[in-house]
Amino acid sequence: MSSPTPSSPSAQTHPVPASPAQLRDRPVRFAVVGTGGMGGHHARNLAAMPDVELTWLVDIDLPRAQALAAEIGGTPTASMEEAFAADNVDAVLIALPTFLHRDATVLAAQHGKHVFCEKPIARTVEDGEAMVAACEAAGVTFMVGHVVRFFPEYERMKEILDAGKLGRIATIRASRTNPPVMERSPWFADVEKNGGVVLDLMIHEIDTLRWLFGDVERVFAHGLSYLPIHEKRDYTMASIRFRSGAIAHVEASWAHSTHRTSIEVAGQYGLATYSSEQAATLIVEPTEGIDWNAPGGIRVPARHYLRPGVVAPHLKEVQHFVACLKTGEPVRVNGEEATKALAVANAVLDSMRTGVPVFFNEDGTVRASAAAAATTATATA
Amino acid sequence: MTTIEGRPVRVAILSFAHLHAHGYALALKANPDADLVLIADDDAERGAAMAEHYGVEYVPDYRDAVVRDDIDAVVICSENVRHKEMTIAAAEAGKHVLCEKPIATTVDDALAMIAACRDNRVKLQIAFPVRFNSAVHGLKAAIDRGAIGEPLIIASRNPGTCPQSWFVQPELSGGGAVIDHTVHVVDTLRWMLGVEVEEVYAEIDTRIYDFEADDTGLLMMKLSNGVPVSLDTSWSRPANNPIWGGVMIDVVGETGVLSLDAFRANIELIEIQGPSNTRIGVEASGDPEMIDAFIQAVRADSETSPNGEDGLRAMEVALAAYESAKAQQPVKIAHAAVA
Repeated sequence: MSSPTPSSPSAQTHPVPASPAQLRDRPVRFAVVGTGGMGGHHARNLAAMPDVELTWLVDIDLPRAQALAAEIGGTPTASMEEAFAADNVDAVLIALPTFLHRDATVLAAQHGKHVFCEKPIARTVEDGEAMVAACEAAGVTFMVGHVVRFFPEYERMKEILDAGKLGRIATIRASRTNPPVMERSPWFADVEKNGGVVLDLMIHEIDTLRWLFGDVERVFAHGLSYLPIHEKRDYTMASIRFRSGAIAHVEASWAHSTHRTSIEVAGQYGLATYSSEQAATLIVEPTEGIDWNAPGGIRVPARHYLRPGVVAPHLKEVQHFVACLKTGEPVRVNGEEATKALAVANAVLDSMRTGVPVFFNEDGTVRASAAAAATTATATA
Repeated sequence: MTTIEGRPVRVAILSFAHLHAHGYALALKANPDADLVLIADDDAERGAAMAEHYGVEYVPDYRDAVVRDDIDAVVICSENVRHKEMTIAAAEAGKHVLCEKPIATTVDDALAMIAACRDNRVKLQIAFPVRFNSAVHGLKAAIDRGAIGEPLIIASRNPGTCPQSWFVQPELSGGGAVIDHTVHVVDTLRWMLGVEVEEVYAEIDTRIYDFEADDTGLLMMKLSNGVPVSLDTSWSRPANNPIWGGVMIDVVGETGVLSLDAFRANIELIEIQGPSNTRIGVEASGDPEMIDAFIQAVRADSETSPNGEDGLRAMEVALAAYESAKAQQPVKIAHAAVA
């Protein structure tokens, strides 16, 4: 006599997602799809979580999945279908290149699997909406990995704003800089397929600012994404006008030498600022290995900026997703929210390309603009 | 116009309506080639107090001051809309003019000021101290020596505390935060890169205070060399901010990034009695250098820089920004011809 398996034959024809009642007292079983940079990071986090069982590692590059499986466990495969059809998967974490998010999410939903998808939700709003619809139809929980909402400083900033400490908001400056990642992974420079620095970096600020300040009225942007230089350096700055009237300047860069983020909010009653450069509570400064004769002067080893005791936000967001699966509570970043952020990010790209602002209707759809249509027509011709 | 032969340039400050007059008065007092003779101000209480403070004569009516034989030049720190009448009166009396920015509030006024100074053969300089700031000079030098390759895109800001008073009365200032703060960075960019601003898109509103003037502005500009520039002009620093504000310019180039914070205040001062937190910088403000450039141009009878046209070009961008914000579209900047 054996206990019934969670996935009965009838569930295979009409897959039923694992319910909070089922998941409350047992580990949530995960398949990770895509074992590159972010996928590997998430997989290692999942493997170490006590209330999670990492069961499958999916990668079209099978040796990469096998190597990771040898390190942290799980069954490697090159086939999503194989993993999603298995009876030991409750949830899927998708960390694929952006343009593949839709097919993987829809397939997982059709198999009754809950979905955690990396940001941005998709390349197009149409894809995002299709993913939301598929998850809704299948009754699965769908979360998008907008990790900035899990950084403690941004959480605290939301508390400050929600408490009305700054009153009516006037201006916001939000920035995210990184080194030119395309020097290592040239596919980041493919703006058509992946959206460049706007969809990879600025989407973080766009989602965070929507979370903090609500819906967007219009955007206007300048940047390098559509210039030949974007294969070496990408940078975009956007003016975002919120429905509330607040005015934001948002900057995203693959043209700096280090990772930095910052936000500044000015309102009627004051000013709140945060910069990741000032976030460290512990600095490790190695003095071994100083090169006194480096070309151009002394070269010293890099300092490490640490925040002991702060849960890594990439771990925290997955812990939150797991908790939501076990309690049935709504996720902090659902597919609709992520699709709205994507619509704003794509408007930033469109404005940059056409040279005119992009306006939104109250329902979040893009308002057709005569000027934009004319410019687009000229550009196409 | 009297000849200046080996003696200091004798200067009158016309109005202390603009607080920058203090910096200019100090610079004039400290400059061995300048002699601050009088302060004219139709606000008798303010004018008399300032004259006493700086140890010079007080004259109630500026029209009496500009015609005096013991004056060679004037520094105008009145409300923006009064720059024109004071400049023209001084020019017609043969006095050289250093006028606070913005040059004026309309293109016609600015052109009339430039014409009056040209016709009466007197100097006209506009008070843009930022291009004399030592850190700004460092930024230009770094760009010129190719430290970051070609500049590709620039994010800049000139936020500040709200000056209140007539600055927030559009009929006296010509606007609000946008006309007050656009011109500093635009002048600096024109000087640094040898470019004009060709197009501007702007979001402008009154969000912080309850007055009519704009206190919040974000300009998205395009320069004649194709480089885009953003500029935040907002009066977004709280009244009790440890420092008045700043001028920050980040230049992203082909091979690196330059980040300027021209008035960075490095010293933090906390007093048990007094403001809880004050910040003090060590960078040169640019005021003494800017005043000296004017004095030396007068002495040598050479071209002023920044001149009236520089003032006009910077003001045109601010006016176009207001137009853009109203139209919710980018605006091409028409550069008025200077005869």
